[in-house]
Amino acid sequence: MISGRDFARRVDLGLIAATLGLVAMSMVALYSIAAGSLEAGGFAAKQMIWVGIGLAAMTLAALVDYTRLRHLSVLIYILNISLLGAIIVSGQVALGAQRWMMIGPFRFQPSEFTKLFVIMTLAAFLSERKGEISGWRDVLLALAYAAPSIVLILLQPDLGTALVVIAAIAGMLLAAGVGYRQLASLAVMAWAAAWAALKFGVLHEYQVTRLVTFLNPGVDPLGSGYNLRQSIIAIGSGGVFGKGWLSGTQSRLDFLPSSVRHNDFIFAVIGEELGLIGGAVLLALFFFLVSRALRIAQMSRNYYGLLVAAGIISMWIFQVMVNIGMTIGIMPITGIPLPFVSYGGSSMLMNFMSAGLLLSIYARRWR
Amino acid sequence: MEEISDPIKARLKVLAFIATAIFAILFGRLWMLQGVLANEYRRLAEENRIRPVSVDAPRGLILDRHGDPLVKNRLAVVVTLEPERTDDRTLIKRLSKVLDLSIAQIDSRIASNKIDPIKPRVIQRDTPDAAIAYIKEHSGDFPGVELKVEAIREYPYGELAAHVVGYLGELSQEEHEDPDYALHELGDMVGKTGVEKVYDNLLAGSKGTEYIEVNALAEPLRVVDKVKPDPGNDIILTIDRRIQAAAEKTLIDGILRTKKNKYRNASSGATVVMTPKGEVVAMASFPTYDPAVFIGGVSEKQWTKLTADESDYPLNNRALMSAYPPASTFKIVTAAAGYQNDVMTSATTVVCTGRWTGMGEKWGKFCWKRSGHGPRNVVGALEESCDSFFYDIGYRLYKLPGERLQDWARRFGMGAVTGIDLPSEVEGRVPTAKWKKEWNKNNPDNQAWFPGDTVNMAIGQGDTLATPLQIASMYAAIAADGVIYKPYMVKSIVGLDGRKIRDIEPEKTGDLKLPSDQLAAIKDGLRRVVATGTAKGVFAGLNVTVSGKTGTAEVFGKDDYALFAAYAPSDAPEYVVVTVIEEGGGGSTAAAPAVRDLLAEIFSEGEAE
Repeated sequence: MISGRDFARRVDLGLIAATLGLVAMSMVALYSIAAGSLEAGGFAAKQMIWVGIGLAAMTLAALVDYTRLRHLSVLIYILNISLLGAIIVSGQVALGAQRWMMIGPFRFQPSEFTKLFVIMTLAAFLSERKGEISGWRDVLLALAYAAPSIVLILLQPDLGTALVVIAAIAGMLLAAGVGYRQLASLAVMAWAAAWAALKFGVLHEYQVTRLVTFLNPGVDPLGSGYNLRQSIIAIGSGGVFGKGWLSGTQSRLDFLPSSVRHNDFIFAVIGEELGLIGGAVLLALFFFLVSRALRIAQMSRNYYGLLVAAGIISMWIFQVMVNIGMTIGIMPITGIPLPFVSYGGSSMLMNFMSAGLLLSIYARRWR
Repeated sequence: MEEISDPIKARLKVLAFIATAIFAILFGRLWMLQGVLANEYRRLAEENRIRPVSVDAPRGLILDRHGDPLVKNRLAVVVTLEPERTDDRTLIKRLSKVLDLSIAQIDSRIASNKIDPIKPRVIQRDTPDAAIAYIKEHSGDFPGVELKVEAIREYPYGELAAHVVGYLGELSQEEHEDPDYALHELGDMVGKTGVEKVYDNLLAGSKGTEYIEVNALAEPLRVVDKVKPDPGNDIILTIDRRIQAAAEKTLIDGILRTKKNKYRNASSGATVVMTPKGEVVAMASFPTYDPAVFIGGVSEKQWTKLTADESDYPLNNRALMSAYPPASTFKIVTAAAGYQNDVMTSATTVVCTGRWTGMGEKWGKFCWKRSGHGPRNVVGALEESCDSFFYDIGYRLYKLPGERLQDWARRFGMGAVTGIDLPSEVEGRVPTAKWKKEWNKNNPDNQAWFPGDTVNMAIGQGDTLATPLQIASMYAAIAADGVIYKPYMVKSIVGLDGRKIRDIEPEKTGDLKLPSDQLAAIKDGLRRVVATGTAKGVFAGLNVTVSGKTGTAEVFGKDDYALFAAYAPSDAPEYVVVTVIEEGGGGSTAAAPAVRDLLAEIFSEGEAE
């Protein structure tokens, strides 16, 4: 048995508090959405179940010695590729993309877990080089190692998740000590690839439309620009203090469509009802979460832990940036959920697992 | 344990810096939207959720001069349909059966109501109780159908004064584009004729607004705010209900009597009663119509009937929309012109032999009395309506430079609208040389103005036309010693709390400036018409002295039109009365008895009312 004091030294209560704070804000928003119509009555309750499952997963992940996972990385890698392959073969069609998979009564979105799997396997791959990753050879090897996952995600197609994975990889390469010149070259290459994809029609039409809409929201006020416009109106009209909980007119009266306000656009509900103060609290919670995670990375006793932490941090930062940025009109609409806040079981579970990994790294920072 | 190198730890600081920068940008943008631009977005959010919907103001009443309402409001059930249900064919079929409307009618009502997208479409006004009960019991079969209570017009006296008050109809597209109707929206009921039309802006009041919260599907949820409508003003007419009723009854009786009396074509006519100062106390036109048929929106069938030739145009107010040859009622104009152009005095006599040959034997013209009236001065000529005398005066006027008789006809108000506050008034006609040339531009043989034209005009024949209202105005001028007042229908306008907003006073528009001796001679002639002249006996037994003039107008291809213009009491006139019966034959036999009956009613003991 460990004493209370020992427990406090081994467990990062700050990190846990940050995740619980975010979950609380999610509940506040989902409850408000549910009160608006009977059909959505289950959002908050269902999310609560997922939070419970997530907390269990987090505890489990924290208890497991993460260094053992490092040795399982080949297995995880194979699992990840098979999972992604299976979705393409047999996944259910949702929103024109094959993203879902039924496991018993649950609908899973395997690409959520892919994010974490890629981070864990790439961390293992990079940590073997122990901070010596300066040559192009190692960089290209690392990219080649991650490439199959990215390609399979793009084939679903799920541009949002692919971008998150790419961001996590970029963050890990940065943390692994890849030279700035090489990072800059990679950025240029990525930009060129994106441009070529747009140019030669690799992207689906809706993805192009979303990008165009982002660049010029007035183009299509009732089409894809509609959500963005209503989201900005919702947030802007919230003002400093918000319209009050359960009183957001944009969300309650369906101007913010019911199909998106609980997941991709949940921040618009928070911004409208709780105002700048609510939004600032949410941003502060994320900032605190990221700070704690950075602190854990700093304390990690090995490269593997540090790189896993860096990957998770990059993933979270990127998702927060793109999701909130999208609702306030400074990022394209890509369908990336807000960690711990957007409705969705797979996402909630994966984020708690990520937090559990961080706790495991924190608890084993000595020796 | 691995030792983590310092450069790697430094890289984590870079990551921390990037994170901080991203959070700063997100917060900055939030500050921009919610701190700086919040008011603009609040406005946009309110525009999203709040729809202003106008609320009709109660329309003002129309009352007679004693405050007796001729047009009231009553509450009725209006059947409306939500706009999103207008494509439901089975529902419309069902409505058509229950409301007894054709599917085409319902469709046209939906289509003609291109109003506010969330405002329900009016399908039927004043729906019968049985249909209301059916819809209520089977409300499940009528989704989107609502029963609303709305104020609609009610006419306590039925057809009484229908032409004066007019009727309501839905605002048309042309009216919608007319700035005079700026207060109205498509679908509103507005005055189409009569006082309802002329005073529409005062009667209508101004609309209120309900601010309704809607969702993204534009479904109304609740009323958030309300601006009450400002009710319309009441209009007090110069009409006296009792006299109006009498005028209508005596006109119909007169027409029916005439019909029995050989003149089978007699079926229409008009009567005007006004004070010498222009207050129109009664105005009747026959055939008439029931303004109530317009309440629910007039049906195609009813409209066709109301506008058909064989119905004799019941919607027309003949008192001011029909112009007739004034016939002998015009002779007071010839008399005044004769005096004022010094072609005669009260002593001037013309010997009537039954055929006047003033323009030479070849151009001789008959007096209506072929046996002749003998020597007559102006008083005697008026008394017996001697044509020869007035032919002679007409010819004397013709010989003067200019168009003296026409000038005087215009001074009496002919050839121009009187300016009464009712719509569609016609000008009548004062024929001139210029007019004749223009009128016969395709008939070169008949373009010259002949002396005979002026001579014909002198007895009110030829091309001269006047409305019954103009004739009444001419006799009012004599009754008022030469002063001409503009006829008017509205005495005052009353606000919501009964406070008078405006009183309308008589408006002097001209003065004949006839010396009193000339006026006295004309009045003497008119008095004698009734006492001993052409209308002798007709007015016997009346408790009031009457002065007047018969007129029998020859209309090509038709039976003669009968006219009688009168005022009473003779020495201090209170009322001027004019009756015209189309194809009624002689003025003394058809029109004068109708006027007599009316004056008997006016001056019965009820007069003190």
